[in-house]
Amino acid sequence: MARRGLRTPVPDVAALSSFLVSAVGLAVPLALAALGETVSQRAGVINIGLEGSVIWGALGGALGSLAGGGYAGLLAGALAGGAAALVFAVFAVRLNTDQIITGTAVTIGSLGFTGALYQSRFGVTGVALELETLPAWELPLLSRIPVVGPALFDQALTAYLVYVMVPLLAWLLFRTRWGLALRAVGESPEAAHAAGVPVVRTRMLAAVFAGLMAGLAGAHLSLVHTGTFAENMSAGKGFIAIAVVVLGRWRPAGVLAAALFFGGAEALQFALQAFDADLPYPLFLALPYVLSLAALAGWFGRSRAPEGLALPWPRRGH
Amino acid sequence: MSDQSGTPRVRADLRPALGAAAALLATMAIAAALLALGGHSPAVAFGALARGAFGSWHNFISVTLVQATPLLLTGLAVALAFKARVWNIGAEGQLHAGALAGVAVAVSVPASSAFLLLPATLLAAAAAGALWASVPAAMKTRMGVGEVITTLLMNFVALFLAQFLVHGPLRESRGVFNQTDAIPAAAQLPTLIPGFRLHLGFLIGILIAVALWLYLARTPGGFRIRAVGASPRAAEVSGRFRTTPVIWRAFLVSGAIAGLAGWIQVSGITHRMYEGLSPGWGYTAIAVALLARLHPLAAVLTAIVFGALSAGGGAMQREAGVPDVWVRGIEALVILAVLTVDRVLQTIDRRAARGSPRAAHSRA
Amino acid sequence: MTAAVSLRGVTKRFGALRALDAVDFELAPGEIHGLLGENGAGKTTLARVVAGLLAPDAGRVQIGGREVRLGSAAEARALGVAMVHQHFSLVPRFTGFENVALFNAEAWTPRGGVRDDYRGRIEARAAELRLPVQLDVPVERMGVADRQRIEILKALMGETRVLLLDEPTAVLAPQEVEGLFAVLRRVAAAGTGIVLVAHKLDEVLAAAGRVTVLRRGRWVLTREAGGVTARELADAMVGVGGVAAGLPGGGSVLAGQEAPAPAIVAELKDVSAASVSGAGLRGVSLAVRRGEILGIAGVGGNGQRTLASVLAGLQAPDAGEAVLPAEAGWIPQERDGEGLVNDFTIAENVALAVHAKGAYRRGPWLDWAEVEEAAAALVGEMDVRSGAPGVAAGTLSGGNQQKMVAGREFLRSGKLLVAESPTRGLDVKATVAVRERITALAKHGDRAPGIVLISTDLDEILELSDRIAVMVRGRLIPVPPEDHNPAAIGELMLGAGSRGGVRHQADARDRPGARETAG
Repeated sequence: MARRGLRTPVPDVAALSSFLVSAVGLAVPLALAALGETVSQRAGVINIGLEGSVIWGALGGALGSLAGGGYAGLLAGALAGGAAALVFAVFAVRLNTDQIITGTAVTIGSLGFTGALYQSRFGVTGVALELETLPAWELPLLSRIPVVGPALFDQALTAYLVYVMVPLLAWLLFRTRWGLALRAVGESPEAAHAAGVPVVRTRMLAAVFAGLMAGLAGAHLSLVHTGTFAENMSAGKGFIAIAVVVLGRWRPAGVLAAALFFGGAEALQFALQAFDADLPYPLFLALPYVLSLAALAGWFGRSRAPEGLALPWPRRGH
Repeated sequence: MSDQSGTPRVRADLRPALGAAAALLATMAIAAALLALGGHSPAVAFGALARGAFGSWHNFISVTLVQATPLLLTGLAVALAFKARVWNIGAEGQLHAGALAGVAVAVSVPASSAFLLLPATLLAAAAAGALWASVPAAMKTRMGVGEVITTLLMNFVALFLAQFLVHGPLRESRGVFNQTDAIPAAAQLPTLIPGFRLHLGFLIGILIAVALWLYLARTPGGFRIRAVGASPRAAEVSGRFRTTPVIWRAFLVSGAIAGLAGWIQVSGITHRMYEGLSPGWGYTAIAVALLARLHPLAAVLTAIVFGALSAGGGAMQREAGVPDVWVRGIEALVILAVLTVDRVLQTIDRRAARGSPRAAHSRA
Repeated sequence: MTAAVSLRGVTKRFGALRALDAVDFELAPGEIHGLLGENGAGKTTLARVVAGLLAPDAGRVQIGGREVRLGSAAEARALGVAMVHQHFSLVPRFTGFENVALFNAEAWTPRGGVRDDYRGRIEARAAELRLPVQLDVPVERMGVADRQRIEILKALMGETRVLLLDEPTAVLAPQEVEGLFAVLRRVAAAGTGIVLVAHKLDEVLAAAGRVTVLRRGRWVLTREAGGVTARELADAMVGVGGVAAGLPGGGSVLAGQEAPAPAIVAELKDVSAASVSGAGLRGVSLAVRRGEILGIAGVGGNGQRTLASVLAGLQAPDAGEAVLPAEAGWIPQERDGEGLVNDFTIAENVALAVHAKGAYRRGPWLDWAEVEEAAAALVGEMDVRSGAPGVAAGTLSGGNQQKMVAGREFLRSGKLLVAESPTRGLDVKATVAVRERITALAKHGDRAPGIVLISTDLDEILELSDRIAVMVRGRLIPVPPEDHNPAAIGELMLGAGSRGGVRHQADARDRPGARETAG
């Protein structure tokens, strides 16, 4: 059965183009959340609660959209994601509790409370919510580029946010005092502290920024990708974003590439599933995680997490 | 000697329990406030939850304890790892690996005797869980890669591997649903009490809890795990042993127990493996272990608490109209409450400790 | 002229310990001021108070004539105080340039970018100070001297009026030390006041214009470097005329040595061993007999740690022969985190040493009853106050913790006990108590272990030891009994080598007869 797929002629340009559209669409929420998480991890904070921010973003997006239209939804989604991350940061940074356990709690709680809020608002049966989706902005000329044009330049606002964020964050992180201080906090909070950088404040801000970005990612899911909200619709996107950060080696451009890779794997899986149910498509989905592990193991050269990642500050004596 | 040590020992033993109780109370208070805010009556909701979990023998034994079983096993896995300060958040993946290995053995080995097949499947599940944990273990001990990210990544690999197998090689022979064939009766764990769904797996969980407790409290090997968790440097200098083998042991045993959790669920309850076997037990396990203060025997209690939450959630929804997803929110509140209580206790400790000898001799 | 720094009556307590006790101190602009003292004398604490990193409990601090808020690092920075820590505060993965820029606000434009000319300014400053630095290499790939130069340059890029250096020479080779001092002289010549914290006398005398000696948190003296000898400073550091003067000379100790010699429990023959950090061992020979205390004096970082871990069996010698008991007790320098686990009970801390021993096992089980019995006995024998087997070690005072560790290490091995700065960080009462216990262990009759006492505290060595040797740059120099006095030992400790005269004198005097005494 699987053979049949191989014997078909090379997919035509239209098929390739629609695959790319789908891949980019799937990559956008991953990239948004992962770009935020990159900043957070660069400051030494690993936010496993990112998944929680994504689901809050999706619900916030839905509620905001019902109240004030799509762009209000986008804003509400970002704020909702940021609020979830603020809860995380108050515990994990301000109170200095364990980052991993706190993040896990925030994720579990967010999945629960978003579900509760959704059901109390729309009923337990959950009539499928119909949301106005954000329109795609077709950029003149650019969207006409063969094959990649429609995929890259006929997308909703969220995709363009990614395009702006990647160079912006790269510049901020690696070319500014602010970025140097933030990275110092993530590498060696002691040295950063000695240089006068406010470690706790920096970490709080970075964690909340990650939440805002993850909230945008969630809003993308409800307002661009599906036009509805469903419980658990984040479906692990927040966790995947953490893998994206690892595979992207904590650099915005790398993170974008890794997000496209993950998105591509997912799009390929959908394409194959529709095409031939017998192909081992779940293995395509597993591949990016395996590659992330390989990257950590140094198979593609040195790739190290920030030295101070997940470590408490101030240091706890034991 | 015993009269001399009596008083302080009682204090040392009671404090974690008191802390856990305080955390639970705080959680209930906050949950009540949130329920009220959401327009529900906390009393009605808690009442329905309690009845759903404990209201009848059926509810308690066939629902609560059945729900508690995978939570107990994964909770023990997490507790042991955390005891050695190994942050294994990969119980979810190890659980899937174990379930797959158990099913694979059960459906492929043509043995009809439960005395052969059950031990073989349990062994396979434990081995698979340990194998799944060995990847992060190797990366931590050989390459210095932190286990938090690696165990998390391994979870997804396991989920997709499970998805692949139930869609493909292990798919049921009818070819209707994406699930495995039913396992033969010889591979099914027997129920404990006629008429109730509770199965031998719960007993296995309690046995493992007792064994782990004895191991940690009474054996040199368990003592080393605790020493590494308390202070790796002191373990090397004053304990005169290498920490790497101890860390490996924590990873492997933790993975094996989590692997058992997955297979025991299949063998005792579902009898088939399918996608979405676990609703996130491997993550809830962190709450179970934490509330138990990483104590294996206490984990039996806390697993029942969380089993009751999930069992009572349904009743809460039916009787009080409170969506059962509240239960997940309450789980999260428990974790945050435990963390907060811990910080408060630590702060009190630090205030109580006389002066700061640490600061004095590190900066002379 | 306004003093660059002025301290009046500064007191800083850590628990019961007075790290600084009503200390006055003055630093003039453009001077290099050596701050001397043994470990624990309060030198680093004083420097950290000036840098605003510690708030003193009492006293006043003025910088450039202005009264400053106590414990405000930001204010100290703003007034031009910079500190080079013993453990550098550099971000390992950042390049030299990034580390310098991180620390200096003037590297940045208001919009957050690096100033175009800043790199040029760093290079110019480095050239001016004749400080060769690697700006584009990550710090983690630099040698320790290169890192130190980055740290110094980092501190000197701004308007630095006061430069505090904490033990800057401890990590440097002799030829590097001279280079550092040349830089410091240039910096001082430009008007910056420099505090040079050190415990090597000869180095301080070579670099400093004035020296101040602290001892046990108290000010002892301040002199012009030209008007004081190394001998006088050594006496001031170790407190001749104080406690040590009241001790008997070599006489009684000598008598002990002539008694019929008990069995040798540990012996090193020409042992050399490398060290990860600090000095290793170079051709060290020694023998320890039952019931004696062999005191190893010396300035910290001269190979004592390596000696301890070789004797304890944790490190094999690279060359030479070590005849050691199967297990040796070791009271490590750091109690918290090495010697004991705060969260463990006393019984559990005892179990750290005995959990693998057959006597404390019953089948596969650890015999806690046996361990608790041993712990209870230990608590009584070592006089661990408010201790019981079930009490958490973290609740004990430092002195009682140390007594517990000493007792446990004796329990581990009745043959050889290595005590590494056992009274470091303890107050006077606890110090006396711990010393009493160690002496008592050595008088355990037939069961008495041989004790190697490694300490930077000369009082302690003189008070407790039957025989004494001095550790200098990885070598062990025996001290003949007639030289068992602070002056003679202090001279040997001076850091022989760079001040050739002293060293040769000491060696020449040591050689005859001394070899056998320690060997």
